[in-house]
Amino acid sequence: MYAEREVHARRAAKSISELSLRHPSRAIVVLADRGAPADVEAHIEMHCHLPVADGATQVCYEQILVRARGDSRQRVASAVIPLLVPDLPVFLWWTGAPPVSGPPFGDLLGVADRFVVDSSDFARPDIALPSIARINSQAKGLFGVTDLNWTRLTPWREMITSFFDVPAWRPFLDSVSGVRVGFAVDMDGRDIHPSQALLFVGWLASRLGWRPLDALASSEAGGLLFAIARSDGARVMVRVRPRFERGLEEGDVSGIRVQAEREGQLAEFVVKRQPDPRHQTTTVLMNGEKRWERTVPLPSPAIVELIGEELSILGSDRTYEESLAALVRLS
Amino acid sequence: MQRLLPAAFCVVGTARRPLTEAAFREELRLAVAQHSRTKPLNEEVWRSFAEQLHFVATPDDRGYERLRETLDRLDHELGTHANRLFYLATPPPAYASIVRAIGEHRLRGDTGWARVVIEKPFGRNRESARELTEILHTVFREDEIFRIDHYLGKETVQNILVMRFANGIFEPIWNRQYVDHVQITVAETIGVEERAGYYEQAGAMRDIVQNHLLQLLALVAMEPPAAFDDKAVRDEKVKVLRVLRPITADGVATNAVRGQYGRGFIEGVAVNAYREEPGVARDSRTETYVALKCWVDNWRWEGTPFYMRTGKRLPKRSTEIAIQFRSAPHQLFSREASEGLEPNALVLRIQPNEGVSLKFGAKVPVQGIRIRSVNMDFDYGASFMVEAPDAYETLILDALRGDATLFTRRDEVDQQWAFVDPIIEAWAAAPEGPPIYEAGTWGPIEANLLIERDGREWRKA
Repeated sequence: MYAEREVHARRAAKSISELSLRHPSRAIVVLADRGAPADVEAHIEMHCHLPVADGATQVCYEQILVRARGDSRQRVASAVIPLLVPDLPVFLWWTGAPPVSGPPFGDLLGVADRFVVDSSDFARPDIALPSIARINSQAKGLFGVTDLNWTRLTPWREMITSFFDVPAWRPFLDSVSGVRVGFAVDMDGRDIHPSQALLFVGWLASRLGWRPLDALASSEAGGLLFAIARSDGARVMVRVRPRFERGLEEGDVSGIRVQAEREGQLAEFVVKRQPDPRHQTTTVLMNGEKRWERTVPLPSPAIVELIGEELSILGSDRTYEESLAALVRLS
Repeated sequence: MQRLLPAAFCVVGTARRPLTEAAFREELRLAVAQHSRTKPLNEEVWRSFAEQLHFVATPDDRGYERLRETLDRLDHELGTHANRLFYLATPPPAYASIVRAIGEHRLRGDTGWARVVIEKPFGRNRESARELTEILHTVFREDEIFRIDHYLGKETVQNILVMRFANGIFEPIWNRQYVDHVQITVAETIGVEERAGYYEQAGAMRDIVQNHLLQLLALVAMEPPAAFDDKAVRDEKVKVLRVLRPITADGVATNAVRGQYGRGFIEGVAVNAYREEPGVARDSRTETYVALKCWVDNWRWEGTPFYMRTGKRLPKRSTEIAIQFRSAPHQLFSREASEGLEPNALVLRIQPNEGVSLKFGAKVPVQGIRIRSVNMDFDYGASFMVEAPDAYETLILDALRGDATLFTRRDEVDQQWAFVDPIIEAWAAAPEGPPIYEAGTWGPIEANLLIERDGREWRKA
């Protein structure tokens, strides 16, 4: 875990420690504090969960905090690598937008099996997402790349996909004419974090073979507008819009609407998030008339759940990689 | 401290420099207090042990005569029948003259046994090793010579033999049919420290490869000996060393890589380049890193390469042997499902954290099939709550008991030099010196190429 801000380091350390029963591990948290005189020191904590009544075994979890002060770029990797446990998979969790190369990033990436970022933290996704795509193209099978924001999208992708499992609605998939993706912003709408919504667009484009038609343009309401060509050449308008909604984390997708026209019928496939209690509703409209609605629980977006899910996977997530690549092409 | 020494014994220290017996005892007491596994030092036990410590200075022939008189007197007092173990802890150039003195001054007694323990390096090439053996043979028989390779005294190294030959499940797959390749790593984080004088002349090839690495290779590759005794075990080891395919001058470029550490960082601390170390020539061409690709040309190992590497100033201290098995013959799981799956590996960790681990694939517990590698771990410390003895404790006790199984025989040393000599000569003749690698990295880039050319990679130790 690499962090340049104490609050990030603490948050990540806490998440990993909450996971220790599911993923016993040695967590090495590197906190790079550039402001202080050059120095590296390590602090070790070990936690053991004692056996409980139902016969679960004792699980121990170690956490090592490496504080690297000053310009420690050259020396951080040399402090971290000896602390790795041989033969255990190494996940490199980088908070904030990662640099593309250079120490200690390159050295740490060299020992990692999986590289984890969270694009919800990216202040400039237009720069950071393409650089993740570049890192991914350098991986060449040596490590897999993942984005916790992509993991947050999973319930949305599941719901959208499930529409087209229905034989009657399946043909609409080839005639999508418009997509709207809403994502949450705070009240004043100052900082917008559209990465998650953008990844969704990238996913659709990669799965359906869409290509860019025009360059990305800002749309009127502070959102983004894509003009895209379907695989048959027809035009698809994709709109990504910030929306203020209570009870959502900034940047989280709040609703998705997919429109398709076929044989004179306008179909709308809608998934919306409802805040309290958390659930999703999925709705299908034909020519404006509601045909189907259902409500399903929405899994917790807690970061500890997300990282827990990622830690069980080694190797790369091809669907994510292709979605990211498609997104970079579109923008 | 372990009550392992015989009832009657004594230790006679000798050196060219004069030292009083009291000063000698005090020097040893401090060393034992600092390094003994049993702390604190039990003063009562030490006092009784120290009574058996003696010192004789041997600056000249008269000194050696005094040494003989002392030994004879002590034999008489203790009733030890002139059973004597000579332990030479001196720089190698002194071996010859000391052995000659032992002979000339009749230091080996008339009645009991005499043995000599020789430290590495044993010679600096095949020829000088043979000369040294000849000199030793003027005074000692081959079965009285105990050449120490302290790696062989390590518990886990001996455990290689136990793993292989006391178990029924490993030996059937311990061959070319199941083993894709073997990797042996001896990695140190330390630099040359105070040993520059010796190391400048030796380099990693003579310091580690010629003895430790080749011995580890022999133990991994050998055929099952008929018995666990010095003759059977060493006979089998030397057979492996004999069929080690020579790396000739024109094979050096593709099968051998050397390197020398430059500046870098070890555990967060900036360290000097080798050429900046005290006692090292500014333009030194001594190698501090060696990687080799070796073949054991016999029925069992045809087509299975052995990759070996050793170096100073590598990122972590680690000695291990990894047996990498072939992949399953038919992949019934999709490429995506098995992306987190690596071929099975059996890893024998020698230091630190002695133990054995076996890597195999397991299903990730979610819907659908996704496979990743997991490890089954055996940790020496966790199963046996006994601190392993230091390698030297094991070996010196073995020498006192006359068990030479864990010592290197003349023909083994000879074969080991025969293997490394041509490589050292080729490097010496090359116009350029060793490539420089940054301290704290896994050696020069050439070492990666050595193994990646074959579609394999070094383990993340």
